Amino acid sequence: MADLLVEQLSGFGLATIMARKGVSGMAIGMALGVEAPAQPAFCRGENNLALIGTGAGSWFAHTDMVSPAWHTALRDRLAELASVSDQSDGYMLIRLSGEDARTVLQRGAAIDFHPEVFAPGAAATTVIAHIGVVIWRRDDDARGRPKYEIATFRSYFDSFRRWLDHTAAAL
Amino acid sequence: MSRTDVNRLTNGGLIDRTKPLRFTFDGKNYRGLAGDTLASALLANDVRLVGRSFKYHRPRGILAAGSEEPNALVTLRSGAHAEPNTRATTVPLYDGLEATSQNRWPSLAFDFLAVNQLASPLLVAGFYYKTFMWPAALWEKLYEPLIRRAAGLGKLSMLPDPDHYDREHGFCDLLVIGGGAAGLAAALTAARSGARVIVADEDVMPGGRLLSERHQIDGILASDWAARVAAELASLPNVRLLTRTTVFGVYDGREYGAVERVSDHLSAPSSGQPRQRLWKIIAKRAVLAAGAIERPIVFGANDRPGVMMASAISTYVNRYAVAPGKCAVVFTATDSGWTTAHDLVRAGVGVGAVVDARPADARHIELARRLGVEALFGAVVTEVHGRVAKAVTVRTAEGAPRRISCDLVAMAGGWNPAIGLGSNLGARPIWSDAQQAFLLESCPPGLAPAGAAAGDLALGDALRGGVHQASAALADLGIAPKGLPSFSASDDFAAATPLWQVPGKAKAFVDFQHDVTVTDVQLAAREGFISIEHLKRYTTLGMATDQGKTSQLNGHAVLAAVIGKTIAETGTVLSRPPYLPVAIGALAGHHRGQDFRPMRKTASHRWAQAQRAIFTDAGQWKRAQWFARSGESEWLESVNREVLATRGSVGVCDVSTLGKIDVQGPDAGTLLDRLYINNFASLPIGKARYGVMLREDGFVMDDGTTTRFAEDSYFVTTTTVNAAKVMQHIDYARQVLWPELDVQATSVTEQWATYAVAGPKSRALLQALLPSVDLANDALPYMGAIELVWKERVCRLFRLSFSGELAYEISVPARLGEALILALFEAGRAFDVTAYGTEALSVMRIEKGHPAGNELNGTTTAADLGMGRMMSTKKDYLGRVMAGRPGLCDPERPRLVGLKPVNGRSLIRAGAHLLSPGQDAVAANDEGFVSSAAYSPTLGLPIALAFLKLGHQRHGERIIVHDPVRGADVEAAICNPVFFDPEGVRVRG
Repeated sequence: MADLLVEQLSGFGLATIMARKGVSGMAIGMALGVEAPAQPAFCRGENNLALIGTGAGSWFAHTDMVSPAWHTALRDRLAELASVSDQSDGYMLIRLSGEDARTVLQRGAAIDFHPEVFAPGAAATTVIAHIGVVIWRRDDDARGRPKYEIATFRSYFDSFRRWLDHTAAAL
Repeated sequence: MSRTDVNRLTNGGLIDRTKPLRFTFDGKNYRGLAGDTLASALLANDVRLVGRSFKYHRPRGILAAGSEEPNALVTLRSGAHAEPNTRATTVPLYDGLEATSQNRWPSLAFDFLAVNQLASPLLVAGFYYKTFMWPAALWEKLYEPLIRRAAGLGKLSMLPDPDHYDREHGFCDLLVIGGGAAGLAAALTAARSGARVIVADEDVMPGGRLLSERHQIDGILASDWAARVAAELASLPNVRLLTRTTVFGVYDGREYGAVERVSDHLSAPSSGQPRQRLWKIIAKRAVLAAGAIERPIVFGANDRPGVMMASAISTYVNRYAVAPGKCAVVFTATDSGWTTAHDLVRAGVGVGAVVDARPADARHIELARRLGVEALFGAVVTEVHGRVAKAVTVRTAEGAPRRISCDLVAMAGGWNPAIGLGSNLGARPIWSDAQQAFLLESCPPGLAPAGAAAGDLALGDALRGGVHQASAALADLGIAPKGLPSFSASDDFAAATPLWQVPGKAKAFVDFQHDVTVTDVQLAAREGFISIEHLKRYTTLGMATDQGKTSQLNGHAVLAAVIGKTIAETGTVLSRPPYLPVAIGALAGHHRGQDFRPMRKTASHRWAQAQRAIFTDAGQWKRAQWFARSGESEWLESVNREVLATRGSVGVCDVSTLGKIDVQGPDAGTLLDRLYINNFASLPIGKARYGVMLREDGFVMDDGTTTRFAEDSYFVTTTTVNAAKVMQHIDYARQVLWPELDVQATSVTEQWATYAVAGPKSRALLQALLPSVDLANDALPYMGAIELVWKERVCRLFRLSFSGELAYEISVPARLGEALILALFEAGRAFDVTAYGTEALSVMRIEKGHPAGNELNGTTTAADLGMGRMMSTKKDYLGRVMAGRPGLCDPERPRLVGLKPVNGRSLIRAGAHLLSPGQDAVAANDEGFVSSAAYSPTLGLPIALAFLKLGHQRHGERIIVHDPVRGADVEAAICNPVFFDPEGVRVRG
C-alpha cells in the first residue's frame, strides 16, 4: 500500500515580488520580517509569511491563510522597494506527503529529491509533464515523513492532476 | 498435460521445478519452468527451428542466450499487445506466454520464399541498389512494397498500444552498467563506502555470466555469491538495484537513458503499473561492466539450427538445465570453448570432438583425456550438414576432411567486449593486439569500462577491475573508501587466438540477422566499399535489431583480409543509441492521446461544457469555438446566431486566454515606449490604449491593449498565441537591452479571468450586475478602465471593444471566474444574453477590419495593416530602423483591404490569390492574397480581408479571387476593410 497523501490546498495567497533596481533581498526581507533567500529556497517568517526564491531579485510570497487585503498590504510594505503582483488565483497548490511522495516527484521532475539535496526548506522552479511547477519542501510531518507543496498554473491543473493520478497509481 | 520438455536435465539449474508454466509457440502447447526464458523453454522442448532469415528465408535456430541474439526473433503476445522482433533469449517465461515465429509463409517449417536461396546470386551486397534501380517510378509502387513483404522482420499490430509507460529520474555518484562479476564488485566497493549507487542489469537477476558458469568466488558457487552480493546491495539505503533494466544510451551531461521492464515478465501488468519505465540517470561517474559478447566463427553453413555459441550452450546447460542437443562438436579458438565441452560432458551430453583451431597444448590434451573426448588440434570445421545440423566436416591439422555426426555445434571464436555505449558520444574504439579486441581508449566523461568490457576476461581480473574502477571513481569524487573488498575466484583460463574465417565453398554467414555472407563482404570491397562505415551501409552488415553485436567484428576482419590491411587499420564503426531497441511507447511515457501535451482550461471551461460548447485549440488553450443549440444543423447557424444576438442585444465571450503582463516600476512607461510603435508614457492613469510592437527586423510582432493603473504600473495584454513570446521579448528588453531601466515585469495571465461583454445592452447588463458602479459614459468612457470590488476582491472593468459594439472586458481574480460567468448570465437573462465563441468573435472582428493572427503573420508591416500613422516619429523603438528598409517602405507593398463578392453570395476563401481582371493566372501576375474570410450575418454576404498591392488606393475596383485548388474564380469588389460601422459610432454608445 502506497504511503501518499495528496491534498489540494485552498485559502493560500501567492504573489510575485520583484526587487526594484538596486534594492537588495536583505532590504525586502527586512521590510517583510522574513529572510528573502538568494537561492531557490522556502523561508518562513513571522505572520505566516514565507518567501520562495524564484530567480535573481525575484521571490514568491506565500501565505497559508490569505485575506482579501493580503496583496495590498504586501504592496504597501514594499512600496519603492519592489513590484508586487498578486498571483493567488494564478496557481493551484497541491501538497504531497508520505514516504512515497519523493518517488512521485522523482518520476515527474528531472531534479534530485534526495533528502540531503532537497531538504525541508528547499525549493525549485522546474517542469513536470511539460507543465511549469514551483516545488518547495515544508517541515516533515509529525511522523517524520516528507511534505512537499507544488504550485502549477491554474489552467494546467487538470492536466497536472492526470499525470499525478497515473503516477500515484503506479506506486 | 504430458511432459514435452524432453531436453530438460534432471538436476541443477536456477529454475524452479515446482513451478511449471504453460506456453505456446506458433499455436502449439509446451511446458516450461519458472526461471526459464522463452529460448531455454523452446530448447527444453526440442524446438530447434524458431525463425526464418531476413533475405534468404533460411531456417534459423537459437544462436545465443542473451540480448545479442540475431536469429530467435519472435512476436510476443497477440492482438494489440503483440510485440514483434522480441528476442526469445531475453523473454522471461510466464504462464500462458504466447509467441509466434516471423518472416515465414505459410509456415515456419515450409517457407515459400525460401526459393530466394536459389536466386541468391541476385541478392548480393547492394542488391537493393542494383536490382531495383530502374524505372524510378516503380520504387514506391512496386519495389519497396515487394521488398518489405519479402525481406523483413515482424509486423506491427497496427492497433494502438494498450499499455502504460512512465518515467523516473535517477541521480547517483556511481552508475554501474551491468550486474555481472565486475559490476557487482564495483557496486559493492562504492556502496560500502556510502556513495549513492545505481546498478542497472538487464537480466531478471544480477550475476551475468556467474549464473551460467560453474565458478567459485570466496569459496561458494559464483551464482550464490552473486545472490549474496545482490542481497547486500538491495539492503543498503544508498543503493538502487534495478534488474530487467537496460542502459541504452549515453548522452551529454553525464546523462544515461535506460528502460526498466517493469511488467514484461508478467502475463499482464498489475493494476496501475506501467509496462516499462524510462529512466534518465544523471551519474557523476559510471562503470561500464556490460561484459563481452562471444564471437561466432565464419565457416560453411554456420547458420544452421543446431549451431550455437559455446557460451550459450553452457548457459542453457548450467542455468536452465537444458541440453540443447544430444551429441555436440565444439569448434573453438579459445579456452572458454573447452569450458563448454566440460559443461556438456558433465551434463551427460555426448561430445563427438573438440575441434581447436590452435595448436595442441598440454593442459588441453590432459583435459580432453580427463573428459574422455577426442581433441582435434590445429583443425577447423569447414561445413555443417543438414537443414538442421546433423554432421560437420572437419579439416584436420593434416588437411584431411573428416565427417563427424552431431546435432549440436558449439562455436567459440573469442570475445568482443560490449563497449557499444562507450562510443555513443563519438569516441572510436581502438584495436588492442594484446587483447585481440576493440577497446575503449577514450570514453564519455565520467565513464570507465571494467571487467570483460575492458578486455579483462578472466574472472579474477574482472572482479579486481570492478573494484579498481569503483575506487578510482570514489577518489575522483572525494569519497573515502571504507575498506576495498577483495575476492578470491576459481581459475578461469581465458586465452584466445582469433579465427576470423574458415575458407570453404558453402555459404558462410558473417551476419545472421541480415544474411550477409563472406562473399557479400568480399564483393563490397571489390566494388570499392572499403570504408568500414560504407561496408555497413552497402551490405547492411550490422544493421537491424541486433546492430551487429555478434557479426560486426568478423565482418571487419573479412574486409581487412580482402583489402590487405590489419583490423587496427580497418577500424570499427561507432555505435549510436539505443544499444538495444526501445519501444516508442517508453519514450513517449505519459504523453500520448489526450495527454500528448498539457491542456489549458479557462475558469469558465466547465460552464462552457455544460452549454454544449465546441472547443478549439489556441496554443495549449481550449477555447469555446461556438455554442451549439438544439435545432441548429451546422456550425455556421450557431455562429450567425451568436453574432446577430451580440450585435442586437448583448453577448459574452471568455477572453481570459489573452496574455497579461504586469509591467511596473518607475521606468515602466519608458520601456513600453521603446517596445511599442506608439506612445505609452503619456497614457493617463485609468486609460487603455491599443498598441503595436515590432520585431527587431521591423515586421509586426504582436498587438494588444495596455492600461495604466498607477504612475508606475501598466497592465499589458497580448494575443493568446504570442503571450509567452511577448513576455520573453519584454524580459529580453529590460534585462539585456536596457538593464539600466528600473522596470519589472511578470506574467499575470493566469491570475485573471476575463470576459468580453459586448453589444448595445452590455452596459445595462453590467449595471444589473454592479448596481453601485457608475457606468455612464462620463465615468467610464471608451478606452477607460476602473477598479471595483466584487465579492470582496478587487476586479477590473475595461471599456474595450474588439467587436465594434459598445463593449466591456471585466476581469476578476481567477478563483471568481466561474462565479462571474454564472453571475453574468444570471444578470443577463433579462437582456437575452448570448454566449459567443471564437468563431463569432472572429466574424465580428473581420466585419470591423481588426487584424488578428492571420494578418499578424510575421510578414506584415504596420503600414501594410493600415497603421503606418501610429508609428511615432518622435521617439526610438524596437524595429524602427529596420522598418525603414526600402523593401518594407515600398509603396507597392500589399495593403489591407476588404473584399465583397460582386454577386453578393460567392464564398471567398482565405489563402486565395488576387489577380487583376483579364490577367493570366500565373505567379508573375499575383497581386496579393486573402488572409481572413467569413460569412457576415450582419451584412448578409460573404466578406474577406486581404492584402493587395496598392490596395488602399483601389477601393471600389474589381479584382479576381483565384482559388485553383478549392473552387472557381470569384469576382470581388475592393473596399474599406472596416465593413461595419466605419465611423465607430457604436463603440462610443
